[in-house]
Amino acid sequence: MERSFAREVEMLRRGDGEHFEGEGILAITKALLQSGVSYVGGYQGAPVSHLMDVLTSDSKGLMSELGIHTEVCANEAAACAMLAASVNYPIRGAVTWKSTVGTNVASDALSNIASVGVIGGSLIVLGEDYGEGSSIIQERSHAFAMKCSVWLVDPRVNHPRIVDLVEKSFELSEISNTPVRMEFRIRACHVTGRFETKDNKKPRYSMNNKIPEPEYNLDRIALPPSTYLQEKMKIEQRFPAAIKFIKENGLNEFFDGDCEDVGIICQGGLYNSVVRGLQQIGLADPFGNSRIPIYCMNVTYPMVPEEVTGFCAGKRSVCIVEEGFPAYLEQALNAMLRKADLNTTIVGKDVFPMAGEYQSEVMMNGLAKFVEGAVPKGIDLGPIALVTKAVADNKELAAELLGSPIPKRPPGFCTGCPERPVFTALKLAQLDPEIGNMHISADIGCHTFSTLPPFNMGNTVTGYGLGLASSAGVKDSMARHTISIMGDGGFWHNGLSTGISGAVYNKHDNLLIIMANGYSSATGQQHLPSTTAGGIRPPDTVVPMENALKGVGVKWIKKQYTYQVSTMRDLIKEALTSSEKGLKVIIAEAECQIAKQRREKPRISKLLKSGKRVIRTRFGVDEDTCTGDHSCIRLSGCPSLSVKPNPDPLRKDPVASVLNSCVGCGLCGEVSDAAVLCPSFFQAEIVQNPNIMDRIAHKFRSAVIGMLQSKQEAAEIPAPQQDSTDDIRVAAE
Amino acid sequence: MSALPERPISMVIGALGGEGGGVLTTWVVRAAELCDFPTQSTSIPGVAQRTGATTYYVEIFPAPRDQLDGKLPVMALYAAPGNMDIVVTSELMEAGRMLENGMVTSDRTTLIASTHRVYSIIEKSAMGDGLFRGDKLDNAAQKLAKRAILFDIATLAEKEGTVLNAIILGVIAGSGELPIPVDNFTKSIRESGVAVESNIKGFEIGLAYMKGELKLPDAAPDKKIRAAKPSADSLIAEVASSYPGEALAIVTEGVKRLVDYQNPAYAKLYLDRLAGVLAIDRERGGERNNWSLTVETGRYLALMMSYEDIIRVADLKSRRSRFERIRTEVVAKAGEPVHMTEFLKPGFDEFTSIMPSWLGRPIMNWAMGNDWANNYNFAMRVRTHTIFGFVRVWGLSKLRFYRPKTYRFSQEQPAIEGWLEIVKDAAVRHYQLAVEIAELANLRKGYSDTHKRGLQNFARIMAEIAIPCSKAEKDPAWGAEAVTTLRAAALADPEGNALDKAFSSLDAAPTAAAAE
Repeated sequence: MERSFAREVEMLRRGDGEHFEGEGILAITKALLQSGVSYVGGYQGAPVSHLMDVLTSDSKGLMSELGIHTEVCANEAAACAMLAASVNYPIRGAVTWKSTVGTNVASDALSNIASVGVIGGSLIVLGEDYGEGSSIIQERSHAFAMKCSVWLVDPRVNHPRIVDLVEKSFELSEISNTPVRMEFRIRACHVTGRFETKDNKKPRYSMNNKIPEPEYNLDRIALPPSTYLQEKMKIEQRFPAAIKFIKENGLNEFFDGDCEDVGIICQGGLYNSVVRGLQQIGLADPFGNSRIPIYCMNVTYPMVPEEVTGFCAGKRSVCIVEEGFPAYLEQALNAMLRKADLNTTIVGKDVFPMAGEYQSEVMMNGLAKFVEGAVPKGIDLGPIALVTKAVADNKELAAELLGSPIPKRPPGFCTGCPERPVFTALKLAQLDPEIGNMHISADIGCHTFSTLPPFNMGNTVTGYGLGLASSAGVKDSMARHTISIMGDGGFWHNGLSTGISGAVYNKHDNLLIIMANGYSSATGQQHLPSTTAGGIRPPDTVVPMENALKGVGVKWIKKQYTYQVSTMRDLIKEALTSSEKGLKVIIAEAECQIAKQRREKPRISKLLKSGKRVIRTRFGVDEDTCTGDHSCIRLSGCPSLSVKPNPDPLRKDPVASVLNSCVGCGLCGEVSDAAVLCPSFFQAEIVQNPNIMDRIAHKFRSAVIGMLQSKQEAAEIPAPQQDSTDDIRVAAE
Repeated sequence: MSALPERPISMVIGALGGEGGGVLTTWVVRAAELCDFPTQSTSIPGVAQRTGATTYYVEIFPAPRDQLDGKLPVMALYAAPGNMDIVVTSELMEAGRMLENGMVTSDRTTLIASTHRVYSIIEKSAMGDGLFRGDKLDNAAQKLAKRAILFDIATLAEKEGTVLNAIILGVIAGSGELPIPVDNFTKSIRESGVAVESNIKGFEIGLAYMKGELKLPDAAPDKKIRAAKPSADSLIAEVASSYPGEALAIVTEGVKRLVDYQNPAYAKLYLDRLAGVLAIDRERGGERNNWSLTVETGRYLALMMSYEDIIRVADLKSRRSRFERIRTEVVAKAGEPVHMTEFLKPGFDEFTSIMPSWLGRPIMNWAMGNDWANNYNFAMRVRTHTIFGFVRVWGLSKLRFYRPKTYRFSQEQPAIEGWLEIVKDAAVRHYQLAVEIAELANLRKGYSDTHKRGLQNFARIMAEIAIPCSKAEKDPAWGAEAVTTLRAAALADPEGNALDKAFSSLDAAPTAAAAE
């Protein structure tokens, strides 16, 4: 796991009158325990990985005390299907996954459970990943709530409020027999804060107190005629029940302001940004007292007509602050007002951008535009214009002073990443005229970085585990080869069935490279069925991928250690040129370097402390033989393989240089070998705590070598600074 | 009760994934919480964590909870342009990004940034010099910030054996921009319980810097100027007496290089070859152009004459200075043996390069027409820390005396002469064209395939543009610009696509030789 949650787990145990301090996602985790869930499942992915990690690894003890079953599901569909437990029985459960991408996978189960309904409180914790730093397609998950008629809670970012809403959501779910989805934007998941804790609630039914009898009830089966009945129930019972509960329990919030002729309606998750925006243009104080009344929708689906009309009545103009596209809330709002025959002007996407994250500046400018358009009684517009102008002017000035735009800094493979060498091998393989440029169906995982510099490889990315499946249509229409990439994460998520069994059945004759770094790495090194964790995991619990592959009928399976670039390149060529028909699979195997370093570093430092002999390996580049054409970097992109100003007074181009962050993975040597680059690379093994033999050998060698070297000394004494500083200036130009 | 603050203190930290920005954030937050200030922090991990640029955002309401009678501030999750009190970045280009995004304003922002560079992949992978020039950045920072604290924190951290983010914490504490007593910061470091000692050390270095008690180590000069071999002295004196200002340094280096590469006679040849260029440069008023014709020709003539053959590589790899440099580079402690493995993979070019020309020429002629030979390379891993390994390399380096008889030598010299003549022809007609042609020699760098590719590009640009223009068959002025564009294009991508494009998109040359 990427980090340990020992401290957080201790806080999960806290009870009445104590306090919890920490990230939002962990506050939610604590709220689940306070709500008496009897099962929790999910599929990892930023920003909800922490919820999974903390419940499924570090807090096993607490879970068994409470009798809670926790599970790392095979994928989001499996996670959502877990909610079936609450269909027949009065037990509460929560599942979690990432945003729309996860919901897409979960949709089959979601629709069915939404239709039959639940009697036990069911909560779906949704980690939104929209806007800056997002790793996925930009869509709204709001639509899923509408099409399945499940409720969508979008709490304002405030720990006590979030915890309260989690608890209320379970009640809402039970009263309206509907699963509740609660969305948290990425910053909300990672925001720190505190709240007063309550005792954890032992679930009524659980692993410690089992359900006596199974329930059979045809009404709870998604089959006609039940499905017709279920649809009616959604409209006639569940909706009204939900709206009633939301109203009576004040899930949405009203904040008064003195400018009553206008108002702002916002998604709960955007409330903080709205207040800050208003504060910047002088219309709110730091405690959220706004001059303009705010209706904060902590529940964005369903909307509560009475609340909406009640807020808008008597207002000339109301601004709806709704992030993302399409503007579902704005549309619904307009419809409601029309029905209620209110002629309040609704301002929304006309002052805010149609799409994209509403960051601070966007928010401030949008609100300013609204206010300038609505001209609320008693607000002086002058200062507002000044504030927005100042921000714009400052940016302009900055651009002018900087002269040129600041280069982007795209992410890439970590130092020593075992996936990098595979793409080096691929790049080299494509240099062979027999192979040439290939169509590469890429997949989702760390290996998606292959689509960025310096590799720029991968023609499509269509979804998690879909690398192979996405090559089906194109593979027979390409003049050259088509290959697919899949990670072991994607393999177990769905790639085995969606891609491989399908490809075998349909007699595909192309190459699949499985990146087997042993973890679901991009999400924080969670374990997979095939994870060995460097031998830590009991071997009898490990499911090797090749067994699964053989099982579904793959004949051509080769395992290859990723760092051997030449061998990997030749294996790829072999697979592509082989006369043997059928799907070829190369399992490119080597452990995720982050996980490996986390395990190895403490071990090594322990050895060093105890005086044991340890060899530290790293690479280097000879600055005086490097001619600065950077071919090596274009074949690697390793963060620790960098450049530095050329120390040669005659040369201008920067030379390659290996930084101390080098972990000695060996790729540099392999590359200069496989790609026949240049003689500048060397490998250095530093013998720490050398033993007596090392020392003798070192003394002897140094003596002899030193003797042979001595003649060259003359050329090697650096010149004294004073007579060379001038040279430096000129030579450096 | 005193009046409450009008707004929280806003602080954004721009860092690179895995640089400890998160740790720095938690230290600051904890220090503020120790004052019982309402505090909030957030971040956007995700892909940016993997070596990309990322930010952390902190808000501190500078009034203890007990003075707020139950009220709590509403805190934001986004850094807001025009609203920032403290902007911290762990690297120079990220500081530039903050300026660009308008996060730094002169009315309230204190900018704290390390001025070292961590190059982005886009900068690193350029075939020539693709580095972002930060020279305007300092001035921009001074103008845009209320207060700018800029220095190379990374180098300091490395020298002092601590970490960058700990020093930054010290700078933040020492800046007095946060109403938090210094002890709180040390407390929060100790509470976090990881690498406490080195973090505290870093923290105190940061404090000391802010108190002005710390003298920064002077940055090492980019260029390493070495003393000349005694045998070069007379030639250097000659250079000193004959070469003007800007040219002096380069030509001196050229002489040193070639004495070191071969012998004083070879360096003399260098000066003889260059003399003609200097003469023309004087006629053409080189003064006005900072003698750039002599500078660039002198630079590339020296580099072309000291081409990297096996002998040269072996020589450089067997030097004592190299052994010492590597020990420091890989931070080996005294008494720790360092085992070195060289990755050499000579092909036919390399082998023939040290054969006598009567033997090398036929072999190379055969090899060039032969696919197998073209791609044949002999992988050697030489362990130069062992006596046997060292002697193999050292022995090769001793072949220097015989270099003039080698095939490669017989190939290089005419090429050099040819290029030099063109430069001189061009200089007579169009100064800038000549300079551009001189710099064209930079394409001849690299080894094996990179080198072959470079030679092809060089030859093509020479044949199609440089030569005709130098003979005034095509307009020299146009040629000067063409060569500039093509040289850049040749270095744009290894596949040579950019060069092809550049060639095809060249506007036709006005044939009439326009006088300068």
